[in-house]
Amino acid sequence: MTDPIVSLKGINIRYGTHHAVRDVSLDIAKGEVVAMVGPSGAGKSTLLRAINMLETPASGTLHVGDFTFALDRPLGQKDLLALRRSTGMVFQQFNLFPHMTVQRNISLPQMRVLGRSREEADRVTARLLERVHLADKAQAYPARLSGGQQQRIAIARALALDPQVMLFDEPTSALDPELGLEVLSVMRELAADGMTMIVVTHEIAFAAEVADRVIVMADGQIIEEGPPEQVIRNPSLPRTQKFFRAILERH
Amino acid sequence: MTDLLTNWADWLPQLLKGLGISLQLTGFALALGLPLGLVLALASSARGPALRWPAIALVEIGRGAPALVVLQMVYYGLPSAGLNLSAFLSGAIALALTTAAYTSEILRAGINAVPQGEVEAGQALGMTRQDILRFVVIPQGVIFAVPALMGFAILIFQATALTFTIAIPELLARAYRIGAATYLYLDVLILAGLVYLAVTIPFGWLVNRAARRLGSHLG
Ligand SMILES: Nc1ncnc2c1ncn2[C@@H]1O[C@H](COP(=O)(O)OP(=O)(O)OP(=O)(O)O)[C@@H](O)[C@H]1O
Ligand SMILES: [Mg+2]
Repeated sequence: MTDPIVSLKGINIRYGTHHAVRDVSLDIAKGEVVAMVGPSGAGKSTLLRAINMLETPASGTLHVGDFTFALDRPLGQKDLLALRRSTGMVFQQFNLFPHMTVQRNISLPQMRVLGRSREEADRVTARLLERVHLADKAQAYPARLSGGQQQRIAIARALALDPQVMLFDEPTSALDPELGLEVLSVMRELAADGMTMIVVTHEIAFAAEVADRVIVMADGQIIEEGPPEQVIRNPSLPRTQKFFRAILERH
Repeated sequence: MTDLLTNWADWLPQLLKGLGISLQLTGFALALGLPLGLVLALASSARGPALRWPAIALVEIGRGAPALVVLQMVYYGLPSAGLNLSAFLSGAIALALTTAAYTSEILRAGINAVPQGEVEAGQALGMTRQDILRFVVIPQGVIFAVPALMGFAILIFQATALTFTIAIPELLARAYRIGAATYLYLDVLILAGLVYLAVTIPFGWLVNRAARRLGSHLG
């Protein structure tokens, strides 16, 4: 890989004595879509959240876009904000700001974080609402929207800051299947537009169709990775085979 | 019975003037005490111990000390520290301190009720800690606290009666004055009680409505 846009080296994350992520290294190319799968407790969320430092690794190096940080000493506030500005994150529970309209949810961070004027921010917001097919919801409050709509707003909110990479932590797990489809279709469009994406998901069909690479985690480590047709259809480890078989049976 | 009603009719204008002062005291106590309560709420959940411990101490003392003691301390204590305030201002400040101590706990509970996921969303967006507080946490924390704050406003309105001990001519003080002049203490105190109720009952009803509306609005 010539020029990874995200590069993790020797990442370790501990909760007390629990070693949640063990010496993980991972390079992701610009425009690549990576699906991260694995059993509950494998450390997928923890690793994903280390990329924007919502979790603080004990050691390792983190490179995102123009930033490279050695993690064995604490990051300064300015570096931390700059890192987070260049990543977008979408959560399982959407986490919209319920006391703000959809428009303000998307425009406010642009104004505060990027210093855009209200007019400029609202213009970007309008364009993004078109993109997630919710142009008519600008003045609605989140509580009035379906889960699928809320998640698409959350995606628009993250995109509004022009991130270099989008991080998704089980974006459809809290949704009914048909509402999940709306969200997956927006993500598919995003991938087609060339966005770099790391997606923790149990949606194997989505991973198979959209991902360039599938990463399987277990016990805080990457145990297998490769193109979806190989990892999903012909996994090499018995453990991975068992994992995919269990998921397929559930569906 | 007609005697009672004529007396009440005679006394009512006096008592209503007193009510005006009671309401002013309440207004001052809330206007000064709520912002201070918010500051204490934020300081007492601050990370730095230099901010946290003094705030916690102030809140505990303010809540632990009876409002009457705070009142007397401000009224008699500040002059001996070289600060001479009118009775009204002393009363307002004392009630504001009590308000700050109590509402800081109410506001802190409201702030803690803001889901951590929204704070994380703000962090992930690259918002500063101050911006997350200002735009995400405080507005919602305050909204969550509104019903309890309104309930507290009723209590502090009732507590204004304590200021009769420092000769502020509020509702209860005026009732006592009339009682002393007529020896009809019970009659005038009943009227005073009714005037208090005429404020607290409708307001309490508003509190319940606010709580219910809030419940249905933010889900
Ligand atoms: N804040 C925390 N404190 C202590 N332990 C934690 C914390 N967060 C996660 N863990 C532990 O770290 C391990 C990895 O958790 P993580 O949430 O990353 O798993 P996951 O792969 O995302 O699982 P899931 O599919 O259930 O979301 C688990 O054993 C979990 O119990
Ligand atoms: Mg997880």
